[in-house]
Amino acid sequence: MNIVALVKYSRDVTEIKVDPATSELRTAGVPERVGLIDKNVVEAAVRLKEATGAGLKVIALAPATARDSFKDVLAMGVDEVVLIEDPFDGEAEAGIVVRLLEAAIRKLDPVDVVLCGFASDDGYSFQVGPRLAERLRRPLLAYARGITPEGGGLRVEQNLDDRMQTVTAPLPALVSIDEEAFPPRRTTLMDALKAKKKPVNVWGIETELGLSRADLESSARIADTRLTGVVVRRQQRVLKGQDLGAMADELIDALEQAGVLKGAA
Amino acid sequence: MGDKPTILIWSEHPALARELVGAARQALGPGGDVALLAPTGVAVDIRSVDVVFTTESADESPEAWAALLAAAVSQTEPALVLVGATKLGLQVAPRLAERIGAGYAAWATGFTLEAGTGAVAARCSLYSGGALAYHQFKPGRVVLTAAPGALTAPADAPSPERIARQSTLTAEVDGIAPTVIGVRPKATSAARLEEAHAVIDIGQGVKAEEDLALIESVAALLDGQLACTRPLSSDRDWFPEWLGLSGKKVAPELSLLIGVSGAIQHIVGVRDSRVIAAVNNDENAAIFAQADVGVVADLYAFLPVLVERIKARGMRPAWQ
Ligand SMILES: Cc1cc2nc3c(=O)[nH]c(=O)nc-3n(C[C@H](O)[C@H](O)[C@H](O)COP(=O)(O)OP(=O)(O)OC[C@H]3O[C@@H](n4cnc5c(N)ncnc54)[C@H](O)[C@@H]3O)c2cc1C
Repeated sequence: MNIVALVKYSRDVTEIKVDPATSELRTAGVPERVGLIDKNVVEAAVRLKEATGAGLKVIALAPATARDSFKDVLAMGVDEVVLIEDPFDGEAEAGIVVRLLEAAIRKLDPVDVVLCGFASDDGYSFQVGPRLAERLRRPLLAYARGITPEGGGLRVEQNLDDRMQTVTAPLPALVSIDEEAFPPRRTTLMDALKAKKKPVNVWGIETELGLSRADLESSARIADTRLTGVVVRRQQRVLKGQDLGAMADELIDALEQAGVLKGAA
Repeated sequence: MGDKPTILIWSEHPALARELVGAARQALGPGGDVALLAPTGVAVDIRSVDVVFTTESADESPEAWAALLAAAVSQTEPALVLVGATKLGLQVAPRLAERIGAGYAAWATGFTLEAGTGAVAARCSLYSGGALAYHQFKPGRVVLTAAPGALTAPADAPSPERIARQSTLTAEVDGIAPTVIGVRPKATSAARLEEAHAVIDIGQGVKAEEDLALIESVAALLDGQLACTRPLSSDRDWFPEWLGLSGKKVAPELSLLIGVSGAIQHIVGVRDSRVIAAVNNDENAAIFAQADVGVVADLYAFLPVLVERIKARGMRPAWQ
């Protein structure tokens, strides 16, 4: 059996700041890393690998300079990372990303299970799983909390809006995992040493995937995107000091002024 | 398409479907048509839409809804398809976009549809709600998802009396959908958080479950309901649900955040509160930029003093 885990090289959105005067987003210098949800994807994939003895590769779209960011992922138990060198600098719309991932999965075929996150930390648009399912024509077991190999297929516990649902599907299949359902394992020094010997293979979209940049660009459906930050307008009054009683009184006064508290009538 | 554009709508939630109908009506003005794929077993007010598709299928899988929507698209040729952003809708909409070769964006908070050209532009929430993306789509069909309350149409949006054309849709689902073998309802908390006047929202700064007694003493004085950040629910299991991006969203009179760092993914769940107050012992915590009033203090030292002062001064919530 062969497993592929899709891992997003994501922006740490908690580090994105907004200029309060201009609403401009300050994305320069925001760290990029393997996403938190994606670490869960890797954990889920490693567990499935352990349960089945399967091979496990990760596919990621990232700049070639990100090679070293995958050490942890390899230490967790992944055999190999395929890094698709991103010609779009992280700016391609999801429809294009899905085509790249599809091409890489097809090149690695036979792939029995593809695992991905239900969404990414930064984009959080829930698109990749459903779109890949359409393109690959494989069943999608979405929002998985638990994944069990069963009767040559998979049984998955789905975390839906109002219910938990158990579903099964034969292989090949696609599984999107729920957030935080598979907290990533801690790795040891031994794991890290072993990981050093594992390959991170960089694939070019033209050379390895046989796609043309021009074709990909013409498949884009969005002509133009502009971003602005959301500015919070809060009073941002900060009370500090040693006298807790005085601070409590100041807080109460502030809440009274704001019409949240009122004094004894 | 052309100069009388159509917007096609679907959500499995009747209230959300109605909201989307209102927003579509407003965007179209009197000129265009609103078509609705009605949720199974739900009566629709057929005067608010121009075309209603119903289905007799009992299959409520994302694959089935995507197939039905694709069939509705080929009958109505809409410029835009609006889908409710629930966990189900967020599976159905990207599938549909892929299937019909449409443009797609999630979490719309507004959109425009140009009458002459059918060109669609959308404003969408991005980076966990920290940013807005304005997308101008290329000519052609577009699919958008919108969360409850995101596309707020005015309550008095004009709804001219129409009599919808009704038809029943069926669609073939190919054999690649998973098989459902069991379903169980989820635990939800008894607290009606959305209706609370005050929300006492705690984070990992609260160390032990015993400490909830202290928090409850504050909540009682402020007539507040307890809520929490995700780790307190998903890691510690103190509450069945949390506030934030992937949790609930509230907009009370007061949110008091205790031992919460202020990560954007949490803040989006409370940022529509009228007043935000915070207690955190780290002066550099992000929460202080998100609050109207913040107290830099150890919560274990500060809260008992706060309780004592509220009582001593005979303060009550303004709504009591
Ligand atoms: C894709 C994604 C989605 C997410 N969705 C959500 C979501 O919906 N909801 C959500 O809540 N989170 C969500 N998160 C997680 C979020 O990023 C934060 O990790 C989380 O909200 C932090 O919770 P916290 O503030 O309780 O904990 P921490 O960040 O650990 O903060 C604890 C705070 O308590 C303070 N503190 C500690 N001791 C004391 C004391 N004695 N007195 C006073 N203050 C003290 C500390 O200074 C600190 O600021 C999501 C993350 C991702 C990546």
